[in-house]
Amino acid sequence: MRSTRRSGGLVPEPVLEIRDLTVEFNTEDGVVHAVTGVGYELFPGEVLGIVGESGSGKSVSMLSVLGLIPQPPGRVVEGEAFFKGEDLLRMPRNELRKIRGGAMAMIFQDPMTSLNPVLPIGDQIAEAVKTHNPGTSDGAAEARTIELLELVGVPFAERRVHQYPHEFSGGMRQRAMIAMAIANDPTVLVADEPTTALDVTIQAQIVEVLKAAQKETHAAIVLITHDLGLIAELADRVVVMYAGRVVELGDVFTIFDSPRHPYTVGLMTSLARLDADQEWLEPIPGQPPSLITPPPGCAFHPRCAHSQSRAICRTEVPELRAFGEGLGHLSACHFADELDAAHIRVGAGAGAS
Amino acid sequence: MSETNAEVTSEATSSANGDVILRVESLVKHFPIKAGVLKHTVGQVKAVDGVDLTVRRGETLGVVGESGCGKTTLGRTIIKLIEPTAGRIVFDEQDITEFKRRQMRPVRRDIQIVFQDPYASLNPRMTVREIVAEPLQIHGIYRRGEGRRRVEELLRTVGLSPEHANRFPHEFSGGQRQRIGVARALALNPKMMVLDEPVSALDVSIQAQVVNLLAQLQNEFGLTYLFIAHDLSVVRHVSDRVAVMYLGKIVEVGTREQIYGRPMHPYTQALLSAVPIDTPNQRGKRKRIVLEGDVPSPANPPSGCRFRTRCWRAQEICAEEDPALIPRHGGDHPVACHFAEVMKPLDLVEDVAAASKAG
Repeated sequence: MRSTRRSGGLVPEPVLEIRDLTVEFNTEDGVVHAVTGVGYELFPGEVLGIVGESGSGKSVSMLSVLGLIPQPPGRVVEGEAFFKGEDLLRMPRNELRKIRGGAMAMIFQDPMTSLNPVLPIGDQIAEAVKTHNPGTSDGAAEARTIELLELVGVPFAERRVHQYPHEFSGGMRQRAMIAMAIANDPTVLVADEPTTALDVTIQAQIVEVLKAAQKETHAAIVLITHDLGLIAELADRVVVMYAGRVVELGDVFTIFDSPRHPYTVGLMTSLARLDADQEWLEPIPGQPPSLITPPPGCAFHPRCAHSQSRAICRTEVPELRAFGEGLGHLSACHFADELDAAHIRVGAGAGAS
Repeated sequence: MSETNAEVTSEATSSANGDVILRVESLVKHFPIKAGVLKHTVGQVKAVDGVDLTVRRGETLGVVGESGCGKTTLGRTIIKLIEPTAGRIVFDEQDITEFKRRQMRPVRRDIQIVFQDPYASLNPRMTVREIVAEPLQIHGIYRRGEGRRRVEELLRTVGLSPEHANRFPHEFSGGQRQRIGVARALALNPKMMVLDEPVSALDVSIQAQVVNLLAQLQNEFGLTYLFIAHDLSVVRHVSDRVAVMYLGKIVEVGTREQIYGRPMHPYTQALLSAVPIDTPNQRGKRKRIVLEGDVPSPANPPSGCRFRTRCWRAQEICAEEDPALIPRHGGDHPVACHFAEVMKPLDLVEDVAAASKAG
């Protein structure tokens, strides 16, 4: 029953498959429809980028799968999330806990809030090792910790295992987080805005560390970010989210070269580029919608340059559907077929001087 | 000493020296580090440590650098929200360095600031009308009726509707709040605006709206901008000239083409090479200079050149002598490096080693 949208012979079984996920939050102002009917698959060893702006639901969809949203006020209304044949959304909490930090590990935006400030870095990594491998001796755990810190490029690892998080710089803390995340050879690594809090030069270092970590563990990575540059750098496939829904999904080259959703197109034309002169940026007009009372029909229609106020955009929620050669490129736009590369400014090369 | 530096900086990029609106000479801002019960000063954070720069009327000067480089302190010291420790600030042919509060008042009509965080910089208890009218009232030029119209005109100018005037900041999204901040800054018809990370807190699609708005206002009112930001792509887009800061000093300054096309300082080169690629087609085709280590503490910067501890070109002289910001080695713009040479980190190359697996 697993969908096999990809072309070309054998399709690997996804390691993670999310279907029809809907998550709501109760707030004073009303029910926030944070995630609505979201589904995607994660294949072994790939980097799946999930991109969207604040409030698009990109983090919430993944966090609820990992059992990390507070319930209440959050509530998983429906959906399934299969990991190794089991539905994570219906799994007892203690079993889910065994998976988290083991087969599914996480890296967050701000390592200062995810590390314990009163425990040495080394102890925290060793603890992660021991929790998922009971019976590991202290000596073996420390040796593994040092090995991990060296792998992520923490210099003088033997000495620094005894230091506390505040003695690490932001970049070094993020390295330590990555070391901890890969401690147990995860199958899935969720990286939620892993470089957002860091300076450009440190970001570049962390990107290299993530690549090294993936090489070491062969983990499939879910890369959640608002940064299209990071997606361009690392992702194999991309999920674009808007107002709690998946609006486009496809191979990273396809998404950048011939996006088929007006929102994706708008994101690309909004960006100032390093490689081309632009007289004006082409922003998406208007404001992001309220998730308490989302617009009827396609949530993007009030800001859409392509809708031209056609009725169907205002009345009917567009389904996420494949088109073209059916190479796993999906778009949730009624008029996806009308959009083609002509709508995108010429990219690399043409404008560079 | 400082005079020659300033001259070089302004003269280097073009000959138009006549219409300088802002000149900063050897500007220094040190913050004392206090410790103990008696609050003894035990050191100084050298946030800005000898900055020379000029801004010409009608241009946008971008200031880029990473966190802690002093770019925000520089902006705030220039408009004297923070008192400088040393140096000189000349705005519109007036030396304002020693100006007291009262003397600054008329100057503030001409030079305004827009802050990064549109959530923190607007008083939540004031309506939009009160926020935008406040500068007019403070300067005693708010008249009944007329003032009301002025506020509504300002809101329209920044792309908000006059009906928004009676609402409170929390009713607006981040982008709209930043527009309110811009309307407030515009209220007194300033000549110059210091824009301190004006779009960093905003989502990409909204960033572009605000960037375009700022460009349009500049065209319309002939504004001069000092645009402080860490995002190198945005700075490239908005700036005529760019100054690169590292640990309290400007290490390189030039036109947009000079800085992005022919950077000469190793730090500028590393910074540019670290920016993520624009499209996946560029994977493995961009030189990557991955800097070792972290930025040293501004309380205890390295001797000589401050970048030397992370620099692959550093030699003995770099520890001994602080390199002056002057044109070097056949270059056409000032750069503070003993071993400055052109490198083009943004050019795509076909054969960057370790071109990793294709998608």
